[in-house]
Amino acid sequence: MSLRGRKIKGALAPYALIAPTVVLVLVFIYGVVNGVLQGFGIMPFLGKTEFTLQYYLEAFGRADFTASLGFSLYISAVSSALAVVGGIVLSAALTRLSASRALQAVGISIPLMTAHTLVVLFVVSLFAGTGLVPRALYALGLIDGIGAFPSVVGDPSGWGIVLVYLWKEIPFVAFCTIAIMANVSDRYGEAALTLGASALRSFFSVTLPLCKGALVKAFLIVFAFSFGSYEVPFLLGPTLPKAIPVLAYLEFQNPDILNRSYAMAINGIMVLICTVLAIVYFIVLQRERRR
Amino acid sequence: MGGKRAAKLFVALHLVCVLVPLAVVAVWAFTSSWPWPELLPQTFSDRGIVELFVTSRDLGEVLAVSVGISLAVAALSTVVAAMAARALVSYRFFGKELFRFSTVLPFLIPATVFAMGVQVVFIHAGLANTVFGVVLAHTIVALPYAITIMSEVTAAAGEKLEQQARVSGAGPVRALFEVQIPLLLPGLLSAASLSYITSFSQYFLTLLVGGGTVKTFALVMFPYLASGDRTIASAYGVLFMAVTLGVFFLFELLLKRFASAKTEYFTD
Repeated sequence: MSLRGRKIKGALAPYALIAPTVVLVLVFIYGVVNGVLQGFGIMPFLGKTEFTLQYYLEAFGRADFTASLGFSLYISAVSSALAVVGGIVLSAALTRLSASRALQAVGISIPLMTAHTLVVLFVVSLFAGTGLVPRALYALGLIDGIGAFPSVVGDPSGWGIVLVYLWKEIPFVAFCTIAIMANVSDRYGEAALTLGASALRSFFSVTLPLCKGALVKAFLIVFAFSFGSYEVPFLLGPTLPKAIPVLAYLEFQNPDILNRSYAMAINGIMVLICTVLAIVYFIVLQRERRR
Repeated sequence: MGGKRAAKLFVALHLVCVLVPLAVVAVWAFTSSWPWPELLPQTFSDRGIVELFVTSRDLGEVLAVSVGISLAVAALSTVVAAMAARALVSYRFFGKELFRFSTVLPFLIPATVFAMGVQVVFIHAGLANTVFGVVLAHTIVALPYAITIMSEVTAAAGEKLEQQARVSGAGPVRALFEVQIPLLLPGLLSAASLSYITSFSQYFLTLLVGGGTVKTFALVMFPYLASGDRTIASAYGVLFMAVTLGVFFLFELLLKRFASAKTEYFTD
């Protein structure tokens, strides 16, 4: 092949490599945008092509929507903040013990593999009115009877939902940071210790700053996931306020097709919030790469 | 050495939190009555197992479809991600940062939003209610995980060995298959394993794209979790864990086998 031919081939190679991903991502974006447009009243399959803000205004005017938005944001904020803290501790503890592959498999891989819906079953089996924890507390004389334990299903505080996310996401955050922590501990751990830094101090001044990027990314993923996930709040959430995705799907299923636009307006608001998260994620990613 | 005891205590506590619920659900799967306030089940039965394997006749088919879909997703997303990672690590090209940003989107924009938005599109494209449509949708959701893993592994592996092979006279295909792929194998397997898991536990997306026609295990299990019958729900749970763990160990086994062969090859 001529030199020029080789040059052209080299310039085209990256595009050939990214082509399949681009196709898949375009399908994703097309789906999301199509939904968002329906929220603006644009539904060509129904012959509706006129742009309107009516459904967005309707959403913000409805008390059940604003309550749902608050509830979902609160659940996500609490779950992701606690998951990051728990994940840091878990990851640090596993690193400190130089945990074996088997230990990591049980502590991290099993929770990663378990479906969220199954974790709901775990939480219900343990904490529902007749679950194992109330039984144990009763046996110990700490609660009076069958109704004395706060309900895990339908409680407005959503503590059952948070518990499910923590069971899943603490190991996920540990999964995101453990490789970095192990690396740091191999490289700098000894040095810091021989130089007289306490283990705790070297952790806060060396290890944690190096994990910062990974932690922010993990936080954002957990936040976005818990914000947009349907199954867990559907199974464990209160009747009112419903989590945002549960509310959106309820409206989506409504036989009156106009409610679909309302559902899509709700989704559009979710997309807006999540796009902000995505931009923050990308900025962190870029900073990490520059280092 | 400070903190070792605290670390041990925390890890022990964590393992209890992971394993106790699994054990409780496993016990529930074989329990017929466990009245309040007993701490142990009073009578056992095989009702859950019978319901699973006998009453619901299509379980075998459901499992085969589920595992098939998830394996297809694992293979597809791993190959696509490996290609994208190679482009991101080794090439400079116009639009690279935009591309990088776009691969992050399915991480952060909820699958529920995608599912509701894409439903009409898939119906018009004839992809709704088909296994292929479900595989496509799952792959999109699994892809960001696979790309993240593959980017790290590809960057770590570098291209030196592949280039050496090329200089020594190996063709591009041979250099790829005999040098680069073995080098990337641990990453390929963990990307595949994570994609498999992501697909296998997908409920909402499968419901909307598959329209209830494509029955996966996560879909069939869901109504039982919502109902009050804990014995049957737990039986489904146990089977779900058994299948997932089975596949996980298969991946681990493959990793052990080929990764050890690789280290013999490349240690100098």
